[in-house]
Amino acid sequence: MSEISVAIGFNLIVISPTIALVGTALVLLFFTITIESNELVKQSITFIGMLITAFCVFLKFGLFFENGISSYFTQKILLDEFSLFGNVLISLILLFNFLPIWDSSKQLKEKTTEAIILTLMSASGFMLMVDSENLIMLFIGLEIGSISLYALAGLNRGDKLSNEASLKYFLLGSLASCILIYGVSLVYVSFSVFSVYNFAIGIAYVGPDSVPLTTSIGVLLIFIGLLFKIAAAPFQSWAPDVYQGSPTGYVGFMSSIAKVSSFIVIARICLVSINFIIEDFNIFFLIVIISSALIGSLFASIQEDLKRLLAYSGVVQSGFILSGIVAGVNGTSASMFYLFTYILQLIGIFIIFSIINGKLSSEFNIQSIQGLFTNNRFLAASFCVFMFGLAGIPLTSGFVSKFILLTNLWAYEKYLIVSILLLSTVAGFYFYLRPIWMATIEKTEAPIETLKLKKSEYFVITTLATLTIFFGLVPSSLINISRWIVQNYL
Amino acid sequence: MISLIYSFIFLPVINSILVFLIPDRRKELFRPLTIYLSLIPLGLCLYMFVNQNLKTSFLEVDSIPWITAYGIDLIIGFSGMSFLLITLNCLLVLLSILSVNQEHAESKGFLGSIMLLQAAVNGVFLAGDLVSLFIFFEALLIPMYFLMGIWGGSNRRYATIKFILYTVFGSIFILAGTIYTGVLSYISSGKFALDFESIASMSITTSQSEILFLLFTFGFLVKVPLFPLHTWLPDAHVEAPTAGSILLAGVLLKVGAYGILRVSIPFFTEGFLRYQFIIAFLSVVGIIYGAIIAIVQIDIKKLIAYSSISHMGFVMLGISAGRYLSLEGAVIQMINHGITSGALFMLVGFLYDRRHTRRISDFGGLKKSMPIYASIFLFTSFASIGLPGLNGFVGEFMILMGSYPTFKVLTSFAAFGVVLAAIYMLWAYQRMFNGQLDNDENSVLTDLNSKELVAISPLLALMLFIGIYPSFIESYVVQDVSVIYESISNLIGVSQ
Repeated sequence: MSEISVAIGFNLIVISPTIALVGTALVLLFFTITIESNELVKQSITFIGMLITAFCVFLKFGLFFENGISSYFTQKILLDEFSLFGNVLISLILLFNFLPIWDSSKQLKEKTTEAIILTLMSASGFMLMVDSENLIMLFIGLEIGSISLYALAGLNRGDKLSNEASLKYFLLGSLASCILIYGVSLVYVSFSVFSVYNFAIGIAYVGPDSVPLTTSIGVLLIFIGLLFKIAAAPFQSWAPDVYQGSPTGYVGFMSSIAKVSSFIVIARICLVSINFIIEDFNIFFLIVIISSALIGSLFASIQEDLKRLLAYSGVVQSGFILSGIVAGVNGTSASMFYLFTYILQLIGIFIIFSIINGKLSSEFNIQSIQGLFTNNRFLAASFCVFMFGLAGIPLTSGFVSKFILLTNLWAYEKYLIVSILLLSTVAGFYFYLRPIWMATIEKTEAPIETLKLKKSEYFVITTLATLTIFFGLVPSSLINISRWIVQNYL
Repeated sequence: MISLIYSFIFLPVINSILVFLIPDRRKELFRPLTIYLSLIPLGLCLYMFVNQNLKTSFLEVDSIPWITAYGIDLIIGFSGMSFLLITLNCLLVLLSILSVNQEHAESKGFLGSIMLLQAAVNGVFLAGDLVSLFIFFEALLIPMYFLMGIWGGSNRRYATIKFILYTVFGSIFILAGTIYTGVLSYISSGKFALDFESIASMSITTSQSEILFLLFTFGFLVKVPLFPLHTWLPDAHVEAPTAGSILLAGVLLKVGAYGILRVSIPFFTEGFLRYQFIIAFLSVVGIIYGAIIAIVQIDIKKLIAYSSISHMGFVMLGISAGRYLSLEGAVIQMINHGITSGALFMLVGFLYDRRHTRRISDFGGLKKSMPIYASIFLFTSFASIGLPGLNGFVGEFMILMGSYPTFKVLTSFAAFGVVLAAIYMLWAYQRMFNGQLDNDENSVLTDLNSKELVAISPLLALMLFIGIYPSFIESYVVQDVSVIYESISNLIGVSQ
């Protein structure tokens, strides 16, 4: 791995996306409290804020190509391919979820802008998290991001399930944060450093055989804290309840952003320390991956609630992505491709859910999408595309990502994991095709009310579905990008 | 030439899009337009037969870089055998659209799905590398899912999910085999070259060859289907709409056997030699089992479904024997079975449209009310049984002749399959068409109309043509078969 050039002090460009997001949130807050202003003004402020954020990410690319991998603010913020990838993904998530979140918030009576402020705050935290080199910064970013998510989950105060989801998410999430920070402190005890790179160098210095027990346990606890966020089994128990209870319009954002940032951080820690400690955790990760694939597919097959089904499918997908990350460098690049395509499908599915189910409602029985095809053909067709993508049927990006990932795993000789994941794919065909059956084939006696889509919704769903098919047919460019992300570790 | 080959995949897709674009209120346009559109691929097939030299072994025509970072290219090509199967596919698609009843003719989803299925199946036969083979192999599930799910019978949900899960369970083994081959090719050449030429030149050890053979063959055998893996077939056939059944029996079952002939045997011959007896044994069990179960069926469509298991058992016996004659017979039997079973399912569909039942005991004496139908059914039954002079005889005879030197005992048992076929087909014919016309509903049935006669007659002509002049088909499969046979005979060092 190439040396990290340490630019001492202060470069605001590195954290400019975070600043832009926080700034936008504060301006919105100001407008909400003081000046009576209409929707359009707030919407344009948010939109401009997002554009500025995207521009800041663009500036970071410029800085990266100038300085290479570099660390800032006395080794707290890191600028590398992973942080750029994370920034881009988070900006995309924001852009795609902006309208559903806004529409959902309009239906809340007096808290219209609250949701969007929380969204921006959460995104700023997760931006910080993917940028962090320092473990404390990682924790701070994670907490800023997560606390806003807890509030988002319970924003619909009239709904009991929403309250339950928020409380559950908060209690279990704080427990996970405790575990994470305890792990950080244990790592600090051994080497007196917080930087991800420094402790890896420290371990390399003492030699892999004499890694202090505190470090091993500390790193393990950090992983557990992060695995909680991506809902990998056996840390998945919160996901179905939170997905089900939260207002449907927010779930796409909540699930995708936490997953993206945690996966990127896990990938970075694994790659940095891969030669030193990862082998001690092989059994641990093996258990996590296998139980994710098995528990996820098993429980997803028996769900009657679509949001719970998606939560358990997310557990399976987490197992897939994690298996690539812990396998090695090429596996990580495949996982990054997988992550990107999966996030697109996930957001698309939840936008469709929020249109069918109403933005704020919590429960979403599988029966309620009956007759979607007769109601709105566009929605039914794009629903099929996303579901086929999640199942991994050829001609969608889901197949390509699974194919590349499994190819890499096979090259790493992880036959057990490959066979378990292949079996979970078969189960996936069962539980992903069931909603499609309901939506397109099953006839309904009482036709659901006609769904009217706005132009913006058409645009977002079409874009996501097109991308899902595009990356299934012409995946080469995105695969090259995913290999560029890990190029330094090859 | 390249664009011609591509058009076999893309024309049906474009056709289906065109059909989807017609507004719903012009229902009367759907069927005629689809018929004209599906004439184009068939016309192209005939053009190719006349103007191109199709009597070749597999010929790579074009390659598209797909994943450049891994060096995976998608290859497209053709051979004599794949061209025969494509022609069969295009013909059966046209005829099944000709034969659809009024309800299906007014649904553009149905007609469009059939064309998408045609595209996917053509893709399987044209694929020149393992990835595109797998992509098309799996992609044909999507139209099949909707065909069976939306327009199927009363128990369609169970049948569809069973069909999908069985096929997917098989296909994950093919995927694993593809990945394993890719990794092996990466180790030897530095890129994931999965095209047929690179795999053929790849050197692999005996144990690797055995594992790969098992992975691929298992996946394809689910699709054939071989005896213990067959249980999805009767359910799928009974629940699928007539056009779906025709294509399922006519071409989808051939996809599995085609995969074994194209991939499993030539590339992993050592594995084939190791496991050929097991496959032959299971095929013979399937021949006898399918025939015996077919005898006791009360549903005529299920009877034909079980007869398919028996007939595909013959194909697999011929393939597993690995002799020149038996391989050739197997390919010819694949074509024959596509024609005969397609015709039988179409005939059953005609009867079902009139009477809305398929129970054999509901019929009797139909010969009096539907004389043309009865004679056509008898003709097709004879073809299915393997009466000399009709197509079924050629394939089965070649398979039995060719397999006998390799598996003497097994082939002797397999020969009983022909006798049993006569029992189930003729007994069913006797119960349905002979005897008294004692049911009033049967006495008012109308005979085949001109539209239905147009749909069935090309198949009848083909049965007779292949029965009398089998060398025509044989000349197209010779090259493919010699490639497969050479790969076997090079290893065992025996010449015939």
